[in-house]
Amino acid sequence: MITIKHDGCIFCVGCSSVCPASAIEAVGTRMKTYPEKCIDCGLCVKVCPANVICLYKGVKDEKDLPAGAR
Amino acid sequence: MSSKFDHDVIVIGGGPAGSSFARVAAGAGLDVLVVDKRKEIGVPVRCGEGLGSLEILKQGFVLPRACYSIEIEGAKVYAPNGKSITWRGEDTAGWVLERKVFDKWLCELAIEKGARVHTYTRAVGVVKDEKGRPQGVKVSHGGKEPYEISAPLIVSAEGMESMIARELGFKTVHSLYDVDTCYEYEMKPYNHENLIELYFGNEAAPRGYVWIFPKADKKANVGIGVGGLVQNGTKQGGIKGADPKTLLDAFVKKDEQLKDASTLLDFGGVISVGSPIDEFTRDNCMVIGTAAKQVDPIHGGGIGLAIDTGIMAAGTAIKAHERKDFSKNMLMEYETVWRRQKSPTLANRLKLRKILEKVSDDDLNHIFNTLNKEDLQKVMSSDFAPVAMKVLAGRPQLLAVLRGLMS
Repeated sequence: MITIKHDGCIFCVGCSSVCPASAIEAVGTRMKTYPEKCIDCGLCVKVCPANVICLYKGVKDEKDLPAGAR
Repeated sequence: MSSKFDHDVIVIGGGPAGSSFARVAAGAGLDVLVVDKRKEIGVPVRCGEGLGSLEILKQGFVLPRACYSIEIEGAKVYAPNGKSITWRGEDTAGWVLERKVFDKWLCELAIEKGARVHTYTRAVGVVKDEKGRPQGVKVSHGGKEPYEISAPLIVSAEGMESMIARELGFKTVHSLYDVDTCYEYEMKPYNHENLIELYFGNEAAPRGYVWIFPKADKKANVGIGVGGLVQNGTKQGGIKGADPKTLLDAFVKKDEQLKDASTLLDFGGVISVGSPIDEFTRDNCMVIGTAAKQVDPIHGGGIGLAIDTGIMAAGTAIKAHERKDFSKNMLMEYETVWRRQKSPTLANRLKLRKILEKVSDDDLNHIFNTLNKEDLQKVMSSDFAPVAMKVLAGRPQLLAVLRGLMS
């Protein structure tokens, strides 16, 4: 799954435009992620102009993220 | 309306494509509903805001004064070594828009023709009949419980994200190779000559360029686009540190005027610079504008195309409505006309983009030294061969790279 540092996000929707799994979407004024759909490909990380996306390969649930990742 | 549907058409997205479609379709008497997930049409702005005047004038529009910041007289293009070519003329003239006002104006024109527009209304899913044909969408207003609205025709004008288009079966996901990732500041003060300035070079902007689009009151949109594959280069052949913000900051720091200027706005985005998707229509639905990747592959601009396409697609939708036939066969008319009118130019522009990204800064300097503005004009109108010959005369070793332009 990925995490997005929402403070730094410029809400450009670039991540969702390249996501092959439709696992990120702009909802309201935030990017929303769907960890269950994420295929850990990292394309969103590469395309993000603000560098605010982190990929945690293999992690499927927020509670399994390493300390400090949220 | 005596049909089982709530509306004749549901348009998803109230940008230039969606609003133009709605204006023409509603003008012909169709019941058109536009839903836009944003709270305000035109906001947030994710755009360099440049628009060529030719693109708008041919539609017979008169652009209200509030829709643009200033009028542009032409372009000034810089080589990596700082040499520039200035090019004033009708094909480079245009406006730097106030997108917020412009988008709202286009949307209001649609409303004046009878279209209904709902903001803060997100399409969350497609409603299909037993044969799998789209018959409506599920929408949520302000994040509340979704409800269904029905129409025999769904038009996706969703822009880069195009989530509903994907659900409708269109392949709208972008590849990293075919996007540029961008960062932009609105800055002040910046003294300018009412020219759009473009800076090329692999050092300044790998596979892309820096733009300065001047605005009124000594302001300017200063932005950069970088190839999606080269940025964030920790692997796969990317360039370390080549993220657009870092590169833009480096550019600003080196510029005599900009280094002391303030920023009024930070924003960024990802633009499509590839080819259009392989189908625009299916039974009961069409995709228009940036959602269908209908953009110029050189600069990622899509406003003019979006307006054109909206009008074109609406023409087909009106016929489909008259005949009560929303099959792909019927809707294909829009796609056929579009590809006949737009594809040759866009394909040439894509060819040019793919060649430009292989040229080194030194070669680029040579090319700029050789060319004058008449040559640039030829390039813009896809007349590549004479220009390529001229470049090759001074640097024959470029043949391998430029060969693609000779045919």
